[in-house]
Amino acid sequence: MGVIVKRPYSEVVIGLGVALLLVLTLFAVIAGATGFTPKEDIRPLAKFYLYYAINWHEKKYWAASPEAVNSMVWDYRGYDTLYETSVFFLAIIGAIAVFRIPKVKDVFTKGILSGKGLSLIVKTITKLVIAFVLIVSIAIAVHGNLTPGGGFQAGSAISIATLLAIAAFSRIFLEERKITTKLMLPIRVLGVLGIGLLALGPGLIALSGVTSFVIQNQPKPWANWGFIPGIGPFWLSGNQFFYNFCEFVAVGAGFTVIYLIFSIPELIYKKVLGK
Amino acid sequence: MIEPTLITEILLAFALTLALIFAYLAIRERDLIKAVVFSALQSVAFAYAYYLLFAPDIVLAYIAVGVGIYSILLIYGVSKTERYEEV
Amino acid sequence: MTSMISQALWIYFYITLIGLIAVSVYGIVVRPNLLKKIIALSILGDTANTFIIFLGFRRGGAAVPIFPSIKPTLEELLWFKETAVDPLPQCLVITAIVINMSVTAFLIALAIQLYRLYGTLDVRKAVRLRG
Repeated sequence: MGVIVKRPYSEVVIGLGVALLLVLTLFAVIAGATGFTPKEDIRPLAKFYLYYAINWHEKKYWAASPEAVNSMVWDYRGYDTLYETSVFFLAIIGAIAVFRIPKVKDVFTKGILSGKGLSLIVKTITKLVIAFVLIVSIAIAVHGNLTPGGGFQAGSAISIATLLAIAAFSRIFLEERKITTKLMLPIRVLGVLGIGLLALGPGLIALSGVTSFVIQNQPKPWANWGFIPGIGPFWLSGNQFFYNFCEFVAVGAGFTVIYLIFSIPELIYKKVLGK
Repeated sequence: MIEPTLITEILLAFALTLALIFAYLAIRERDLIKAVVFSALQSVAFAYAYYLLFAPDIVLAYIAVGVGIYSILLIYGVSKTERYEEV
Repeated sequence: MTSMISQALWIYFYITLIGLIAVSVYGIVVRPNLLKKIIALSILGDTANTFIIFLGFRRGGAAVPIFPSIKPTLEELLWFKETAVDPLPQCLVITAIVINMSVTAFLIALAIQLYRLYGTLDVRKAVRLRG
């Protein structure tokens, strides 16, 4: 660690190349090639989305939600979100396949970890913080079609609660209360199955004669059925409420599986690999 | 005299300068735990810039991902491999 | 007078973003440790997202693209159309954040498995070991 290695010439050339690219791009920006002045007006496509997102007078293209960004994620540009959810699903499966969860009698960590956790002050404050995190994340998920938020933001926030429990109490605490990978993997599959049914269901109904299309939310002039925008005092915005909830369940369970697998100590993996 | 849009642009310049300083310090550092801390601070500076650009959904997503998930996965990675970087 | 200060500030924003791209590309190419390369890759992804949101910004009298009530009148909708910020780049950036994060999580799992099999995370030494 104390030996200083001389840098070869190829790295100096790379550094100079990066600096030259920087200077040329600066010159192009200052000369106005990319249009550096900010505009005072937006594109006509954005005005269409803003005008028709919640328009009670012309219900031809409306999405029944006052939040333009969430209605674009799940209704107007729903295909992008469908493929993004499948990419996330496959990445978690890939990480589990590379790590190779050991068999049940190897992974029970009672003889290796001590199970005491941290001191009493840390445990008391962590109990309060976990309660706050759970309440805030459920509020972000359920109100996703009325306020900033949505399914994915809430799923990331609720996985932090599991992480705090692993750090302050220990992994044995969670294993004895049956929060294991065997419980979280089926929950994740149920979440993604819900999204798939809500998205592809209207397309299958088209086989029986009624005109409809995949990822349909509200009735359009050429397809005459749709989901109900609100029941009584609850404003559901069609199927956006159910989409947000299923995505919340899927993302939260996926990250919990990753944290539980990463916190298995290295001795067990060395035994499995046979070194 | 000073309009609200000018105040927004001055604060945005401050946030992006902080992000540049933290990113440079994170790449130059040899102790990997300090590099992870600088990367989390740079995520906070970017989240402040997104707030000034009127994008509240992205602020929520980015703070949970940048400070929570990236830092935790990198700390797990450092504890299972080596801590110091050669040269 | 204020428009000259505004123009100078906007040129400074683009200079800062290009500097961030240069720092992250230097980190990916020159540093030999795998975890340092992954940190630099995440910085590059965030800078690209910021570029996209700059494209949809509206300078004078901007407002958040979320309407504050459920039953708007027609005049309120026309005011909303003339003052709100573009919502389309924000939708694309949320998708980009999810995909970058899943790729990074998978890369960290691969790096840990590489350390278990080869015994080193240095790229220059691992190339010579060959399987």
